[in-house]
Amino acid sequence: MRLSERGRRTSSAVLIYVIVLMSFQVFLITVAAEAFIVDDEGQAWATAGVSVVLAAAAAAFLRYLRP
Amino acid sequence: MSENKPVPVPIWRRDFPYEAAGEEEVTRREFARYLVLGAGAIAAGNVGLAVWTQLRSINTGEPRPIVALESVPVGGTYLFRYPSAADPAILLRVDEREVVAFSQQCTHLGCVVYYQVEENRWHCPCHEGNFATLSGDVISGPPTRPLGRIDVEVREDGNVWALARHER
Repeated sequence: MRLSERGRRTSSAVLIYVIVLMSFQVFLITVAAEAFIVDDEGQAWATAGVSVVLAAAAAAFLRYLRP
Repeated sequence: MSENKPVPVPIWRRDFPYEAAGEEEVTRREFARYLVLGAGAIAAGNVGLAVWTQLRSINTGEPRPIVALESVPVGGTYLFRYPSAADPAILLRVDEREVVAFSQQCTHLGCVVYYQVEENRWHCPCHEGNFATLSGDVISGPPTRPLGRIDVEVREDGNVWALARHER
């Protein structure tokens, strides 16, 4: 099935959102590693919380992605 | 725009009409699904790191002898590991009977600190962080938290004992 131009643009935008969220996750894992090195539990938990929220947002975006 | 209107071939495709093997085998949805799975795996890793960090701070150590007091000169330091072999620590003999001990990990990025005799402070050479000798509080530099303190006492047998570590 062919997609409309609008549908393709929407899918591209969603895909870019997911890629940006994934990039941010990679950044967050470095922050978590840094918190682990310096024994900063507060920072480690804050990072984990943001990371889980971003993963959930990426999964939500996936629902709106066309084939 | 009509739903049935064919999508034009992109200019780059006309200029470079090459196709890689299996180019059409992964849809964008599948690609995004891999990304989401990767994001979920990293999130799980972040939670795991947070739990591990929390568990490490729970281990405050058991009382144990560190070194004989007379083997450390006044103003001298002694390196040891406490509470586990992965935790470097440093002890300073302040005067005849007083000793203090701290985690040797700088609270900024984990470099080891050492005692600067001439400045009378703990110094981290990585990013010029400085800590107070007796309290471990931040004097200057990028660290925002004081050094982890280790309770020590000199017992009757002449040994310095480490009692527990406190993250602050």
